[in-house]
Amino acid sequence: MNALGRRSLLQAAPFIGPFLLLYVGLLIYPLIDGLALSFHRADPFGGRAFAGLENYARLASDPVFGQALGNTFKYAVLVVPVLTAITLALALALNKPGRTASVFRGLFFSSSVLSVTIITLIWRFVLTPDAGLLAEAWEAGGREPVPFLSQPDLALLAVAVATIWWSIGLPMMLFLAGLQQIPEDIFEAAALDRANRWTTFRRITLPSLRRTVVLVVMLQTAAQLQLFGQAQLLTAGGPGGASRPVVLFIYETAFTRWELGYASAIAQVLFVLILAVTLLQFRAGTSRREP
Amino acid sequence: MKSRALLRLAAVAILGAGVGCGPEERRTEISVQRFFGECGAVYGRSTEVAAAEGECGIVTTLINRFAADNPDLDVDANVVAWPGYAQLTAQIAAGDPPDLVTMHQSVISDYQARGLLEPMDDLLRQAGVRPEDFTAAGRRGVSKGGAVYGLPWDTVGGLYHVNTGLFAQAGLMKDGKPVVPRSAEELLEHARRFKRATGRPYLIQSQVNDPATHVRNLYTYLLAQDAVVFPDPQHIRLRTPEARRVVELFRTLEREGLTTRNQDYPAATASFLNGEGGVFLTGTWMLGPFEEEARTPGRPLHDSYAVVPYPRLWGRQAAFVDGHAWVAPKRERSPEQRRALARFIGFMAGHNFDWSRTGHLPAFRSVVESPEFQALPHRSDIAPLATAGAPLPSFVQRQAAIEGMVGEELASAITGAKTVEEALRDAERRVNDLLSRL
Repeated sequence: MNALGRRSLLQAAPFIGPFLLLYVGLLIYPLIDGLALSFHRADPFGGRAFAGLENYARLASDPVFGQALGNTFKYAVLVVPVLTAITLALALALNKPGRTASVFRGLFFSSSVLSVTIITLIWRFVLTPDAGLLAEAWEAGGREPVPFLSQPDLALLAVAVATIWWSIGLPMMLFLAGLQQIPEDIFEAAALDRANRWTTFRRITLPSLRRTVVLVVMLQTAAQLQLFGQAQLLTAGGPGGASRPVVLFIYETAFTRWELGYASAIAQVLFVLILAVTLLQFRAGTSRREP
Repeated sequence: MKSRALLRLAAVAILGAGVGCGPEERRTEISVQRFFGECGAVYGRSTEVAAAEGECGIVTTLINRFAADNPDLDVDANVVAWPGYAQLTAQIAAGDPPDLVTMHQSVISDYQARGLLEPMDDLLRQAGVRPEDFTAAGRRGVSKGGAVYGLPWDTVGGLYHVNTGLFAQAGLMKDGKPVVPRSAEELLEHARRFKRATGRPYLIQSQVNDPATHVRNLYTYLLAQDAVVFPDPQHIRLRTPEARRVVELFRTLEREGLTTRNQDYPAATASFLNGEGGVFLTGTWMLGPFEEEARTPGRPLHDSYAVVPYPRLWGRQAAFVDGHAWVAPKRERSPEQRRALARFIGFMAGHNFDWSRTGHLPAFRSVVESPEFQALPHRSDIAPLATAGAPLPSFVQRQAAIEGMVGEELASAITGAKTVEEALRDAERRVNDLLSRL
């Protein structure tokens, strides 16, 4: 490094240093320590005994982990495409000036500011088969209420619906931001060419939003693969583990069973899976040429 | 001139605050942490212990009263969401546990085995509390390896809460008492008769998000059959004829619609309060609230409530019980703090009768035998719980985690998602896998 470079580094150090210190202390070190922990039998109180690959071998033959992993991917598949489509549709509908549109934008975003506890309480009032909103409607129609939260086939769906309702805000805002970046003159040109709305959407809007779509899908996939609070509070992962996601399994393993090493091994596997899926999506979304 | 006056005023204020802080600084601080819910809106300032109702009301008022009676102490009371062990674990791991904390007696061995709890023999002695005065169940619940690790506060267990109005409709009352079955076959016969007569299910059960319900039933009837559930600290034994019998019975009740379905705990409680079934299988903690309903004219349970221990269906009369205790996590404490803790422990022990108004059985023999406890409604009916009740062996660790696993598998068997054999096999495998790594 030449003298100029050294001087620049010295000048930059006071600005970069504090962040770098925090980043290493709060992110990099725990990441490495978590990886090390996954090769140990450990409890939350500092007890550790080296166990080699035992935790990873155990994972491969643990049916509860297998079920939780399957559930996690089901959540992602159920939530991400529907959420992307709904939020894109909302953004298209609300991408206009005027008070009505801004009121609705605020309304649709409002669920995102609520905590997961409130969200699950609201959905419990809707879904519970005893005096829940849907149960009352079902009974008014002379039908037996559907036990959304205790049927193995429906519990996962119930959590997914609550998640979609909760998560609408941010993707909708990202799409709105994306829409507002498309130059108006392209739409004017399309109108002069007598392009209908569907053609305009397919040929102009959607290609222009491709980066935003990739971003929304990547962010939401990563988020849904880490789904936790809704499942814990709405169904506790039940019935019979039918709605238990991996992060809830990690929580149970670490804090109820005190198997911190095993929980850490599960967390490492989930981390690698999220990284792989996100990179695949990024690659798939950016491999084609820009319009 | 003006600024100098202001400065003088500020100096006086600071000095005044300093003088005011003097006695405050001398106050000894103790932190207590409890579950049993949050009811600060109703009982936040109440010190009238006799007027308080329910677990939350009584414990909140007791702590308020202790703080009011001991102005030289600064009592920091922290309420945690039930059961609060994840939070306690994090506090201990961070080296900042509370001074005293409520703990289920079944959980004590987890923390005690890791050396995280302080033996309380000295503190109890300092408080004037003698372990010899505990009930047998209470003493067994807090004694580990020859030392006492907590102040037992009660014995809790499952009970048969009965809607006597509906039982009378079904012809299941005799001499003003509910007729309880004496075998599994008779239970099914009663349940079918009840449903024919009332159109309602015989049993009300909280089966959603509540593994404790199924586990309490299973353990109780395994104990009744003298089955060895935990032959050693590393194994559970569930693939037995005794366990199959119990699970098959509850499966049959579910299949024939003789029990409520798809209810979580609040829904099941509401069902019983609204007179929608004959028997609610829940614990001692609901005795107080149900009594209150039975005293209230116009309510479906008015004059229609009785409570008895689980009926003897196989073998002998038995009940799986647990209990609550106050334990002291290990940490540095000054002699003043230790004296303050002893005062708190003595106070709580002295108010064991007030706590027993919740419906839990007292942890002190003198309270169990006292006329005032005997005079509380239904206490003589549930007295057999004190003698017939037994916990799991004290060497069994991770009982809360085990309850979660076994309860989840039992729910699958009872609802028919798995066969009974599959569910018992999976429960056994999961628990043994956990226990083998302790």
